[in-house]
Amino acid sequence: MIPPRLGHPHLGLGIGLRTVHFGHILEHRPAVDWFEIISENFMDSQGRPRHVLRQIAERYPLVMHGVSLSIGSVDPLDMEYLRRLKALASEIKPLWISDHVCWTGVAGRNTHDLLPIPLTEESLRHVVERIRIVQDVLERPFVFENPSTYVGFTGSTMPEWEFLTRMARDADCGLLLDVNNVYVSSVNHDFDPEEFIRSVPHERVVQFHIAGHTNRHTHLIDTHDSPVIDPVWKLYRLAHELTGGVSTLLEWDAKIPPFPEVHAEVLKARRHLAADWTDPDPEPMEPESPGGSGVSCPLHHIVAEVL
Amino acid sequence: MSGPDPIARPAGLGVVQRWFETVITHPEGAEAGLGSADARHLIDLGPGALETVITRSRALTAAERLAIYANAYHTRLLECLGEVFPMLKRMLGEEAFNDLAFDYLQVYPSKSYTLNELGRHFPQYLRETRPADDTDDADDVGRAEESDAGEPGAMLMPGWGDLLIELARLEWAIYQVFDGPGVEDQPLLQVGDLAIIPPEDWPRVQLRPVPCLQLLATRFPVNEYFTALRHAEEEQVVPIPEPIDSYVALTRRDYIVRRYELSALEHGLLSALMRGESIGDAVAAAAWDPDGDAEEIAGRLRLWFRNWTAEGFFQSVVVPG
Repeated sequence: MIPPRLGHPHLGLGIGLRTVHFGHILEHRPAVDWFEIISENFMDSQGRPRHVLRQIAERYPLVMHGVSLSIGSVDPLDMEYLRRLKALASEIKPLWISDHVCWTGVAGRNTHDLLPIPLTEESLRHVVERIRIVQDVLERPFVFENPSTYVGFTGSTMPEWEFLTRMARDADCGLLLDVNNVYVSSVNHDFDPEEFIRSVPHERVVQFHIAGHTNRHTHLIDTHDSPVIDPVWKLYRLAHELTGGVSTLLEWDAKIPPFPEVHAEVLKARRHLAADWTDPDPEPMEPESPGGSGVSCPLHHIVAEVL
Repeated sequence: MSGPDPIARPAGLGVVQRWFETVITHPEGAEAGLGSADARHLIDLGPGALETVITRSRALTAAERLAIYANAYHTRLLECLGEVFPMLKRMLGEEAFNDLAFDYLQVYPSKSYTLNELGRHFPQYLRETRPADDTDDADDVGRAEESDAGEPGAMLMPGWGDLLIELARLEWAIYQVFDGPGVEDQPLLQVGDLAIIPPEDWPRVQLRPVPCLQLLATRFPVNEYFTALRHAEEEQVVPIPEPIDSYVALTRRDYIVRRYELSALEHGLLSALMRGESIGDAVAAAAWDPDGDAEEIAGRLRLWFRNWTAEGFFQSVVVPG
């Protein structure tokens, strides 16, 4: 019998920690339930980012979210990366550590993108074996997120939800269900997002991600640069009902507004989960998002402060 | 290594990944990547055969879908390099900077788990591809392949390429000092600590610099130029400075990078101290004016050590047994 959320606590409504908000958070200590950090932005830091993180770790529950594990790559696992990830975890004591079901590069190169895996038996065996190694090294269960994807492979033999379900069961890991990614991929691959959400193993879902994306009309790009749209909130509500509720995290990585605005966005979840909430009808058309480079999964990155 | 697989069987995961990466990172885009020899060696697709590997969606062809990854690859990394070298980007303008950074990524693609390493080889790359000019030393290497970004050198003063390189060196050093080792929670040498060193010990004394102290010697006044670029309005043209030997020290205090202009003498002294030389040796090796007044030199030294100590350049003083 697997406990809900794989036994992890329900942290409430959290926000992705971004450097532009450091000052606000330290000064105002906003009543945010929890923060998620991008592990790579802090694991090698010996400067202000790490200093700020230590202070935030004293006041808020933290979760570590990585982008470089590359669990699906055929390159060897980067053991130095894992060692540093573990060192950061032992210092800030995150409630869990997550990354993506993807690969980021091969033959020694890192594209710094979350690239799609062909959904095959071979990929599944490969990913499961590597998750086991990662969990052995880190001595804790890991949590894996469904990425937004823009291509599919003719060689794929199963839908993504089946891949995730079997992966989570065989590797005994958790899932980070990114509801926005489900929506983005459902449009890009012409599948039913509700079927996806109904089909994943709900007791293994440890965390949700919600975010905004960019509508290019022929496809959606996961840009994390705008508010969450109503169809994603609707899926979120469904996921909430099916899982019994799990820690929810808003990601905002490009064109980042002031902290109160980002906080207000994640707090909308309460309204969308309220018993008397009804979906707006008819659903408003999504406008094409203007401006910005519109790059998928923009990587928040450290910028030096100099006098 | 497996070559093209003529059998209608899905390629293995490793082959698909190498092929995918080759295609989406190709400098001329996904379509050129698909036709490249490297990609065709892995998965040999004739014209129109892409959809035997990549599915199409209702709205997009397989090629259009692959292009999403190809576009994002360069855009994402160029944005990142622009954040590491913001003043170089301002100096060159976005288009020229991106051209240069794009060429750099072809030679030095990311091989690290962290984007913090992405710019590490950029100053070196600029040196390796520096445009030749009249004032070059014989060992300077001309730009092997002229890019658009290299051409502004032609309309500017000789040695302009050095300014690019030096600004990149300064920005990379700032980046390193900002997030590298620091001394924020450690005691530093205080001005008062200097006063209690007996005068006869001074020549033997070593001053241990803080780990975040970095020195740069440049042909152009790159630190001043950096300041001018930072203060300039978005579209304002900042004049290219005349070359003049310049020196700057960088350190970090309260997690913020500080910059200090140095004279040649100060730079020489600090460099010697950072190499672990005693104050006596460092002072003796400095290029003092041979007609200089000993009293005046002593006064300058006192002032410098006092100022450097007050600015937190040193962690401790070591008086060898």
